[in-house]
Amino acid sequence: MRWNLAYRTLFHDRGKLIAGLVGVIFSVVLVNIQGGLFFGLVNKASMLVDRSNADIWIGHRGMHNVDFAHPIPERYRYTVAGVEGVAEVQPLKLQFVNMALPGGKYQQVLLVGVAESTNLGRAYSIVDGPQDAINRNDAIVLDRCDDDKLDSPQVGELREVNGRRVRVAGKSNGILNFLVTPYVFANYDDAIEIGGSNPLETSYLLVRLAPNADCQRVCRDIRTLLPELDVMTSDQYASLSINHWITRTGLGLSFGAATLLGLLVGLVMVGQTLYAMVLDRVGEYATLRAIGLDERELLSILAFQSALVASIGIAIGMGITIILKTLLSSPKATIEIPLMLYVGCGVLIFAICLFAAGLPYLRVRRIDPHTALQS
Amino acid sequence: MTTTNTGTTAYTTTDVPVGVQHGHGLASGQKTSAMTNHALEAKAIAKSYVIGGQSRPVLDGIDFHVDPGECVFLAGPSGSGKTTLLSILGLLLTSDSGQLLLKGRRVDGLTEVERTLVRRERIGFVFQRFQLINGLTAEDNVSIPLTMDGMPLREARDRAGALLCRMGLEDHRKALPTSMSPGQCQRVALARAVINEPELILADEPTAALDGKSGQAVMELLHQLTKEFASSTVVVTHDPRIYQYADRICEMENGKFK
Ligand SMILES: Nc1ncnc2c1ncn2[C@@H]1O[C@H](COP(=O)(O)OP(=O)(O)OP(=O)(O)O)[C@@H](O)[C@H]1O
Ligand SMILES: [Mg+2]
Repeated sequence: MRWNLAYRTLFHDRGKLIAGLVGVIFSVVLVNIQGGLFFGLVNKASMLVDRSNADIWIGHRGMHNVDFAHPIPERYRYTVAGVEGVAEVQPLKLQFVNMALPGGKYQQVLLVGVAESTNLGRAYSIVDGPQDAINRNDAIVLDRCDDDKLDSPQVGELREVNGRRVRVAGKSNGILNFLVTPYVFANYDDAIEIGGSNPLETSYLLVRLAPNADCQRVCRDIRTLLPELDVMTSDQYASLSINHWITRTGLGLSFGAATLLGLLVGLVMVGQTLYAMVLDRVGEYATLRAIGLDERELLSILAFQSALVASIGIAIGMGITIILKTLLSSPKATIEIPLMLYVGCGVLIFAICLFAAGLPYLRVRRIDPHTALQS
Repeated sequence: MTTTNTGTTAYTTTDVPVGVQHGHGLASGQKTSAMTNHALEAKAIAKSYVIGGQSRPVLDGIDFHVDPGECVFLAGPSGSGKTTLLSILGLLLTSDSGQLLLKGRRVDGLTEVERTLVRRERIGFVFQRFQLINGLTAEDNVSIPLTMDGMPLREARDRAGALLCRMGLEDHRKALPTSMSPGQCQRVALARAVINEPELILADEPTAALDGKSGQAVMELLHQLTKEFASSTVVVTHDPRIYQYADRICEMENGKFK
């Protein structure tokens, strides 16, 4: 009966119910979209790692961000290749270079040299042009998302990078980094030549493990052999790269604050609505108290109503979030909502709604059943 | 059924001096010196409110009792303390001093939770302005006391529906209070008060918001039902048109019985 009473009175007052729902929906959508944008953005910081097809990344001591590499001796690859459990080792060369644009301007790009005949480090996938574009002579691969920065280069067009003529052989879609610097992929040897760097040095050594090899053990073995280098699993390096940006830029803080504000606004709206609902019904609650409903039962009615508003609001909010995400997410402004975010957000907002019921609770506690006779 | 025995008694039993009636050791109290057989007994109830900075007595040593099945009216001018007394009798308000016994058991000094339980199980209330729950149908409103006692909603609805039919509301069982007339609402409220067959029914000006005919109908029903369930009834009223339903009328003035 209490449940009957709780939801009947809740649904009796549609206006208030909708106001409460709007509060919850607003919170859910805001938190999820904010969080999704945040994850979409920070995940760009590790995109090169995530899509490298490598199990282990080896780089200079103190490496902390995939885009900022320091040279390491390339010959170490032979040392690494000798470690048990290693199936393949390939160097990866990262270097900031300048690309000349048609108008006479320059754009700094991050040149990524990928070894031929391997997919280690080949983070892009071609959507325009031949699949083996990178293996052609003096070929580069650009990304569609950088079209406006690079003045819309077409496949087959000639460009000048660091004073050397290269041909745009193919284009990928959606391989971006956290910086504004576009990635330009090239053949490893071409990249060394274009960058004019020392061929005895490389930026990273990428390792693919043999099937059933123990990743941690291989890492340890490589560390013993090459103590002057850092050895990490791809996951480790990805989160390190992400953390670098989150902490260095205060990004986590500002996104976190905005998300918190969204939660707070939702909380206030829900609390206020529930409070207004209770205020409207103080007379009825007094009557119920008079005819024998005790305070705990009255509270459970309130809690049930909050839970109901929360559940309906969260369900609708999640629906709207998913619609918005499919409509709005693009490679440039990726909305990436991990399952954990959905679940966490739902649980958090549910808890907040119950907490918001505390406000009307304070009023209900003061209800004097005696007033039932006085009104 | 009702008019026969009340027609004469109503006006004659008005206002027996209370002090005499309830003094210990007098006629009615003799055989139950330790335990009374009154349904409800109040002894030396006092209550004062702080009004405008100074304490003013609202009830001044009231002695009062209701016998099983008896219907007592409380009359008197506005502000004489009728509602206050009714609240204390109904355990909605605590008195400053005095004793309250329900079926011979002390109920003053109970905790709030205990008092709530007594109200739920043993007392039915009828209010001047019906005080129905707006979101609930007539049937569900009447079901509340039953379901509070743990009866399944379906069963409670059946019983509530049957009672409403008896009250001439068979077409309004599923109606919301907002779509019913005051007279119908008060009948629903009455049904809610009696459905549990409580020992005591307390009504505060149950006919004040109704026209004469609806008022009569409500009182007629109240009378029938209380006789049937042998409930004792206390009715606060200003309305002389319904005095015929009283077994006894007590008139109050300035916090005392006249
Ligand atoms: N909560 C309160 N605080 C202060 N004074 C109160 C309170 N409730 C009642 N009173 C005072 O107690 C006195 C008696 O009030 P009560 O409501 O019992 O009168 P009543 O006989 O029911 O009057 P009416 O016929 O108008 O309903 C009044 O003078 C009123 O001002
Ligand atoms: Mg009154």
